[in-house]
Amino acid sequence: MPEPLRLFQPTSIEEAVAVLAELGDDAKVVAGATALTLLYRQRLIAPGALVSIGRIPGLKTIEVVDGELRLGALVSHREVELSPVVRGSIPVVADAFGKVANVRVRNAATVGGVMAESDYASDPPAVFVALDAVVDVQGSNGKRSIPASEFFVAFYETALEHDEIVIGVRVPVPPAGTGAVYHKFVTRSSEDRPCVGVAGVVRLHADGTVADLRVAVGAAAETPQRFRDTEALAIGKPLDADLIAQVADAYADQVDTLDDMRGSAWYRTEMVRVWVRRAIESAAAAPAR
Amino acid sequence: MSGVVKGLPGTWADTHRGTAQPGQPGMMDARDRVTGKVDYVINMTLPGMLHAMVLRSTAPAARIVRIDTEKARQVPGVVTVLTGRDIVSRTDVRSHFGPVFRDQPVLAVDRVRFVGEAVVAVAAVDRDAARAALDLVEVEYEELPPVFTFDEALAEDAALVHPEPPRAGATFADIIVHSQAGSNVCNSFTLRKGNIDEGFAQADHVFEDTFTCPAVQHVPLETHCTVADARTSDIVVHTTSQIPFMVRSQLAEVFNLPASRVRVVVHTLGGGYGGKCYPNTEPLTAMLSFVSGRPVKLHLTREEEFTAITRHAMRITLKTGLRADGKVIARKSTCHFNTGAYADIGPRLIKMGGIGTGGPMSIPHVWIDSYAVYTNLPPAGAYRGYGVSQAAWAYETQIEMIAQRLGRDPYELRKKNLLVNGETNATGEIMDDSHWHELLDEVAGKIGWTWPQVPQRIGNKVRAKGLSCIIKGTVTPSASTSMVKMNEDGSLNVMTSSVEMGQGLQTAMAILAAERLSMPVGKVLVSTPDTAFTPYDQQTSSSRSTHSMGMAVTRACGGIADQLLAQASEALEIAVADLELRDGKVQAKGAPDKSVGYAALVQRQKGGNLLATGEYITGGGLDPVTGQGKAAVHWHQAAGAAEVEVDLETGKVDVIAYEAAVYAGRVVNPVQAELQAEGNLAFGLGHALFEEMVYDNGQLQNGNLGDYMICSFEDMPERVGVSTLEEPVLNEIHGIGETGLPPVMPAIGNAVFHATGVRITDAPITAEKVLRGLRQLETARLAAAAVMAAAGTGTAR
Ligand SMILES: Cc1cc2nc3c(=O)[nH]c(=O)nc-3n(C[C@H](O)[C@H](O)[C@H](O)COP(=O)(O)OP(=O)(O)OC[C@H]3O[C@@H](n4cnc5c(N)ncnc54)[C@H](O)[C@@H]3O)c2cc1C
Repeated sequence: MPEPLRLFQPTSIEEAVAVLAELGDDAKVVAGATALTLLYRQRLIAPGALVSIGRIPGLKTIEVVDGELRLGALVSHREVELSPVVRGSIPVVADAFGKVANVRVRNAATVGGVMAESDYASDPPAVFVALDAVVDVQGSNGKRSIPASEFFVAFYETALEHDEIVIGVRVPVPPAGTGAVYHKFVTRSSEDRPCVGVAGVVRLHADGTVADLRVAVGAAAETPQRFRDTEALAIGKPLDADLIAQVADAYADQVDTLDDMRGSAWYRTEMVRVWVRRAIESAAAAPAR
Repeated sequence: MSGVVKGLPGTWADTHRGTAQPGQPGMMDARDRVTGKVDYVINMTLPGMLHAMVLRSTAPAARIVRIDTEKARQVPGVVTVLTGRDIVSRTDVRSHFGPVFRDQPVLAVDRVRFVGEAVVAVAAVDRDAARAALDLVEVEYEELPPVFTFDEALAEDAALVHPEPPRAGATFADIIVHSQAGSNVCNSFTLRKGNIDEGFAQADHVFEDTFTCPAVQHVPLETHCTVADARTSDIVVHTTSQIPFMVRSQLAEVFNLPASRVRVVVHTLGGGYGGKCYPNTEPLTAMLSFVSGRPVKLHLTREEEFTAITRHAMRITLKTGLRADGKVIARKSTCHFNTGAYADIGPRLIKMGGIGTGGPMSIPHVWIDSYAVYTNLPPAGAYRGYGVSQAAWAYETQIEMIAQRLGRDPYELRKKNLLVNGETNATGEIMDDSHWHELLDEVAGKIGWTWPQVPQRIGNKVRAKGLSCIIKGTVTPSASTSMVKMNEDGSLNVMTSSVEMGQGLQTAMAILAAERLSMPVGKVLVSTPDTAFTPYDQQTSSSRSTHSMGMAVTRACGGIADQLLAQASEALEIAVADLELRDGKVQAKGAPDKSVGYAALVQRQKGGNLLATGEYITGGGLDPVTGQGKAAVHWHQAAGAAEVEVDLETGKVDVIAYEAAVYAGRVVNPVQAELQAEGNLAFGLGHALFEEMVYDNGQLQNGNLGDYMICSFEDMPERVGVSTLEEPVLNEIHGIGETGLPPVMPAIGNAVFHATGVRITDAPITAEKVLRGLRQLETARLAAAAVMAAAGTGTAR
C-alpha cells in the first residue's frame, strides 16, 4: 500500500512555508481544490502531503489601499465577482472572475489558486497582466513581489519557488477615464474555458489620441501574451479603425497560437485578430467613471 | 394543401396548464429528488461488501502476452484478483455475454479490442486497497494493427476486430442477423421497396450527398453502478439498468442458473438515455461476488463511463431522385454505424437508423443498406434517438440542400412530400394516423417562417431560421405486463418492471391507474423493478413505456374495476351495467346516493386484496431481404424550428429560439411532456454545436467533463416553445421521450445555412467550421467578381 496522503493545516504563512521547505516537491498547497482534485483524481500528480492554507488568517481581504486593489490569496472567485470594492474600483476584474466556469466552481476557486495553477486557458491571468498587477509571494527567504507578466512562465509553470506561496495580488487602479474590458470567447458550451480571452485597457486624451493602451491575450498560447512594443506604437495616435486594426493584426502575427479542442492554431490567430480589435473598441467606448 | 387525404386532425394540448388534474403533481418524487432523499444504487452497502476496481486496456488492439497479478494479490485488504483467463478456465460459468452476439468477454481474454476495455478486476475491502493492487498488476501487450474509421475497417485487407465470428445468442424477435464472416461488418440490414433503378430513371433530378456525425456519450449524472451478491446459490444484483430482464437472462446464461434464481433489482436511475440498456457492469460485478463469496460493488468513475458505452458515429450517403414537380420518387441510402469493439445492440440499431433514412415521406422506390461496423473503439449502443438522430441529420439536411439547388422553398418542398394517411413509408406500412403536416405547420408558424429567408443583419451578426420534420419507429414486437393489487383501504399498488430514470414513469403510471379506477393519484404506489416479484417488461427505452406499460397497467386496473363492479352489484343489488366508478366509490349511474366505497368492496370480497394482471403485446416484423412489413406499432412524429444568430467574424452559432412540436396522441402529464421536449432540445443542441468524442489512436482525448462539453442551461435558447399534439378520437398515447430529439440538429444546421450560406454536413457545427465556410464563400465571391470584371472589360474593348 502506498503511504497515506498526509494533510497539514497550518495557521500561519510561516508555518506553511516551513512545511513546504521541509517536504520539498512531495507537498502540494491546496486552496479551493478545484484544480488540484482533478489533477489528483486523474493521477497527473501524486503528492505525499497536502498543505491546506484555508486556516491561515489574513488572506481573505479585499481592499483598496494606496491606489491599489488588493486581493488576498484565499478570496474566492465569487467574492471577487460580487465585491462592491472591486466593482467600485476596477470593475473589469469582477467581470473577468464572474466569467469563470460556473457558480459552483467560482464559490470554491481562489485568487491564489488561479494564479499558481497557471493553466493557459484561465480567464483572470490576462486581466492581471493587462492591468500591470503584481503578485505577492512569501517563502523561506521572505517576501517578494513578481509582476503578473513575469509570474506565468509556461504551461502550468510559474515563477514560484517550491516553498513559496501566493499571498495576494495587487492591481493598480487605472486613472479616471480609463476603459477596461475582458472578452471571454468560448467555442463550445457557455461553461467552457476560453478559446481566447482578451483584456483591453484604453485611455484617450481629450483630442481622441491614445494616452494608454494595454492588451493581453489569454488562452491562445502557453501564457498570457502582451506586446509592449505594439502597444507603444499606438501612443499619441488617434484611435481610429486603422490603428485598431494595426494593433489587432500585430497581435495576431505575434501570438504563437496553440491547437486544442477549442480551436486550431489558425482559428485562434483569427480570433486574436477579432477579439483584440473588439476589446480595444469596447474599452475605448466604455471608460470607467 | 388541397387534395391531400388528411387523417383525423389533432388538437394542440395546453402543455402549460400545469397539471393534468387539479392537485396532480408534475412529478411525484420531484421534491425527494432535489432534496437528496431518493436512494440510488451508489448509496447502497451490504454487510461485508467489497469494492471493485478495474484495470483497463491502454492499447486499442493487442494480444495480451502476460499478466502478472502476484504482487496485487499480496496487498492487504485485497480479496480477489481476476483475469479473463481465470474466468475461461472455470467450467461453472461462461466468459462472454452480449445481447445479440456473445462477443463481449467479462474480462478480456488473450486480446484487447479498445482502450478502456476491462482487463483485470480487483475486489478489496475498500477502493484504496483495490487501487493500490491495480497499480501492482503488470500487463504486457503485443500491439496489433487497429482499425478506427469505416475506411480502415472495411478495407479489403483490414485487420479483423473479431477474427473468429462471435457466437450469436437466442435471437431477438425483430433482429435479422446478416453478419459477414471474414469482415468487420458486424451486421447489415437491407430494405428494398419498389424498383430503385426505375425510380432514378424516372427522376428529373438526382442528388447524392454524404453526412457524418461523431460518437457522443450519454453523460448520465449517475454513472453505471452494480452491487452483486452471489454468496448463496442465487444471484442478486442491484443495478443501474433500463432493461432488468435482459440483465437477468444474461446473468442466468453466464452462471448457468434458472432465470428464477437470478434476481435483478433496479432502484430509480440518475438518467439513462439508452446508455444503461444492455449488460455492462453486471456480469463482472456478479463474477467478482461469485468468486470472492462476498457482496461486491462496482461504481464506474466518470472517466470509465465515457468508454463504457457511446452513441454510434455514422456516415450516411443519400442519393435522392425527384420529379420536376418536387416529388421525391427514389432514395438510395448507404449507412455505416461505427459499433466499436463489441456489438451491444448495434445489430438492431442499424435497422431503425437505416429505415429512418426513408424520412417522413412516401417514396415509391427505396433502397437501404445499413451496416454496423466493428472497430477498435469503445462499444456503441442505444442512445436517445436510436440511430434516427443520425438519419434525420442526413435526410433533413439533404432535403434543404436539394431545395436550395432547385431554388425552392424548403418548407414547400417538404409539404409536397410529407406522409399523409393512405400513403406508405419506407417499410411499406400504410399510414393511418399522420400528423406531419400539422406539426411542420405549427413550428413554421410559431417561429415565423418566411421564404426566401433573408438573413437579418445586426452588426457583425446575422439571424435566420431553419426547419425539420422527422419520423421514428418504436420497438416492435414488444411486450409489457403488469400486476395491480387493491388493498383493504382501497389504495392501490402497481407492480411493473418499467424503470424510473427521472423521466417520470412512476408518475405517469400512477396517473393512468388513478384515471382508470377513478381514485386519487396519492393513493397509488408504483413499484420499482425486482425481477423476483414484478412482472415482465421488455425494456424501458424506445419511447415506449407510457404507451406500452400504460396499456398494461390500464388493463390490469380494468380487471380490478370488474371485480369492484361485481362486488358492488351484489351489495347494491343493481346490475353492473347500471354502475360506474366515481371518486373511490362504485355508484349507481344517475343515483350517487346509492354507492359503496372501494375499501368496503375489497373487504366484502374477503380475499385480503383484489388482484389483477394486464398485458400489452404487439406483433410485427420485417422481411429479411426487402425490409417490408411492420417495423413499428405506430410511428412517432415531430418537427422542429430553430432561429440562430451567427457571428460572421467568429463563426460562433447561438440558438436564440426553438419551437418543438411532437405528436403525443394523448398527453398524460403536461408538465412532464414539456420537460421531455426541453430535454431533447438540450441534447440536440449539444450534438449540433459541440458534442464530440475525440480520439487519437483509439485513445479518448476528452473523456472527462472538463474537456467534453454538454449543453448547459446558459446554452439553451432564450425562447423555447413546445407544442404537443393530441388526437382525441383514437386517443392513443405516443411516446415522446426521444421524438423531439432528431429534429434539433438539422433544424439548427438549416438555420445556420440560411443565415450564412455555409452548409455543414459533418456534425458538430463548430464555430471554426462555420468561419472556414464563410472564408471559402468570400474567396469564391471574389473570384467570381474577378471573372465578371474580366468579362466586363472584355466586352467593353
Ligand atoms: C469545471 C471547471 C471549469 C473551469 N472553468 C474555468 C474557466 O472557464 N476559466 C478559468 O479561468 N478557470 C476555470 N477553471 C479553473 C479554476 O478557476 C481553477 O481550478 C481555480 O482557479 C483554481 O483555484 P483553487 O483555489 O481551487 O486552486 P487549487 O485547486 O486548490 O490549487 C490549484 C494549484 O495552485 C496551487 N495553489 C493554490 N493556492 C496557492 C497559493 N496560495 N500559493 C501557491 N500555490 C497555490 C496548488 O498547489 C495547485 O497546484 C475551471 C475549473 C473547473 C473545475
